[in-house]
Amino acid sequence: MWQRRAFLKSAGAGFLASLAPRQILALETSDLVFASSIQTAAGAYGAVLMGERGDVISTIDLPDRGHDITISREAGRGVVFARQPGTFAVIFDPSGHAAPQTLTSVEGRHFFGHGVFSPDGRLLYATESDFEAAQGVIGIYDAADGFRRIGEFPTYGTGPHEMLLMPDGTTFVVANGGIETHPDYGRAELNLDTMDPSVVFIDRRDGTLVGQLRLETGLHQLSIRHMAVDSKHRVWFGCQYKGAPSESPQLVGYATMDGEIRLIELPTDTLRDLRNYVGSVAASADGNTIAVSSPEGDLLVAIDAEQKRPVLVETLRNGCGLAADHTGFIATSGKGEMIGIAGAERPQQQFDFLFDNHMLRLS
Amino acid sequence: MRFFATILAALLLITPVSAQIISPSEMLRSSVTNVIRPQTKAFAIRTAELSKAMYVLCENGDLTGAQEAFATAATAYGRIEFLRVGPLMEANRADRILFFPDRKGIGLRQVQQLLAEADLTAATVPGLQAKSVALQGFGALEFVLFGTGFETLTTSDGAFRCVYGAAIAKNLEEMASEIAAGWADPEGIAQRLTQPNPAYADYRTTTESLEAIVGLVSHGIEAVRDTRINPFIAKGDGKAHPKLALFWRSNQTLPMLQANIRSLRSLVELSGVVTDPALAAEITAAFDRAETAIAAVTSPVDQAVTDPVQAAALADLVTSTQDLQRLIGEDLSATLGLSVGFSSLDGD
Repeated sequence: MWQRRAFLKSAGAGFLASLAPRQILALETSDLVFASSIQTAAGAYGAVLMGERGDVISTIDLPDRGHDITISREAGRGVVFARQPGTFAVIFDPSGHAAPQTLTSVEGRHFFGHGVFSPDGRLLYATESDFEAAQGVIGIYDAADGFRRIGEFPTYGTGPHEMLLMPDGTTFVVANGGIETHPDYGRAELNLDTMDPSVVFIDRRDGTLVGQLRLETGLHQLSIRHMAVDSKHRVWFGCQYKGAPSESPQLVGYATMDGEIRLIELPTDTLRDLRNYVGSVAASADGNTIAVSSPEGDLLVAIDAEQKRPVLVETLRNGCGLAADHTGFIATSGKGEMIGIAGAERPQQQFDFLFDNHMLRLS
Repeated sequence: MRFFATILAALLLITPVSAQIISPSEMLRSSVTNVIRPQTKAFAIRTAELSKAMYVLCENGDLTGAQEAFATAATAYGRIEFLRVGPLMEANRADRILFFPDRKGIGLRQVQQLLAEADLTAATVPGLQAKSVALQGFGALEFVLFGTGFETLTTSDGAFRCVYGAAIAKNLEEMASEIAAGWADPEGIAQRLTQPNPAYADYRTTTESLEAIVGLVSHGIEAVRDTRINPFIAKGDGKAHPKLALFWRSNQTLPMLQANIRSLRSLVELSGVVTDPALAAEITAAFDRAETAIAAVTSPVDQAVTDPVQAAALADLVTSTQDLQRLIGEDLSATLGLSVGFSSLDGD
């Protein structure tokens, strides 16, 4: 867990000097630090760094709408990825010393909004689309060389979305959502009849396929998109269903590196209220609870990872962002609200900006 | 008096989108009874006529009649294709009726191969339904009726081509009939949409139903722009790609756009969802601009894109759809208090 002291250490002594007194106070009184893409009241896009009490520490501007954020203490850098099918990623220095650097996706590729650093912080990996071939790739960037793109691995599927590094530090898990899009056709989904979503495990060192797991064939329109890893190294995933809205397939499941993949049984009422759409998935600090959100259904669900059943259902209008705090989860919304759930003791707060889909705890 | 009469006339002219404030339930009921049911029924009738025209073509060689029936049925689909809820989204019907865009030209290759092989399993509806979605609908039928070799349809050399085309038409007729029946069903989607209930998976509240209607219009306009106009008009590199236009072979590109826009407009107007006069005037003006732009494109698309006046009209059509998407997806949603929130605009 990257707590305040570790954060200050990694940010260096200069960090405090670069912040205004109010920001220093926010950071000093905060145990945990969170980050999210936002939209300001004026409609501009940015990203925010905030303390656990919701104090805004700093913000950066983005050229367009951002999506997820990843941070490396080792690299001393964070990255905000453009929302799909965006073509930029903004590298920022959490200490505010170095000016933000904007990466542009290379010809024939766009970002999907998610990525991770290598454990040593030397390489940045991002899910990208080779849209002419309708194949997903992981773009590889050298943090030590100005984030130059030095290569790519296939994701062995179409429309990759979130990617995570497994606790072993050498295996990626990627959610291939299965949906083909192409910048020439905006957000149009081009292959709903032949979607082939999968969860893949990929060796970080050479890009070889370690394993590829698919749900049963009747569920080919169930797009697997967001994930979190629990204390037993199970990869929990949340799906978005692209079939008829009158159908309600199960939306949450887990996959393991041993080759198991299954959907858990959520009660009919809960499932219905998720509205065929899970927007983000997070694991608690101890890895024993999984939270999923649906901004479409205004619903947050906490699941006991061992029992594989929901332990709490909470409503939050347009709620999507989820991140673990010490005792539970904080949840944020596209209406600018932040609340605590599943053991997180915090007041409901309203901000003058809107939170995007994902909240990152800097850990 | 004359002065007031002039003002009254002016007011009547600028606020045709919505005459009076009606309840959300009435908006939903009106959407279904005044737009969705009549249009899905019309599509069923037009495809039945198309099916008959294909039969007549194969029997008596009336190619013109079949080509005209294609245009009429295709544009009837243009009036319902944005209804991407309910029966159109079940059993892959939307893709089976029209597989487009076909970015890699898969459908064209499959149709050409099927014709070359004279694969008789495609000559029956069940046989056809077992094949690729790209072989089953309007895209394939357009090639049959207007693509390379269409002249053979009236000769014995085109016998297979004709029965394959007739099977496609029959398949379209069957799907159109299922869609109309789905919307006509008193206990089906129309009931769930107009009388939402917390026990339903799709529409739990009136607000969710209204969100669905407004979402259909907003997404429909976006899809028209992103899949039907932008891919073929000239952009940064100055190069147009008229063969990426839907139905360029049959010269139905613009009639389809007109059907799309007019039907989206009728759903906005006849449902009564726009109750704010100022917003209504803006929406009316944007639809008017879109329709004026479409009317200005009189040449086949390959010529239209090289003609400065018509190319400018197509560019204006793009601008109009951008305005409409903002007015309906954002402004109208806000006036209706709908939760088209920042985090739920689309599948991220």
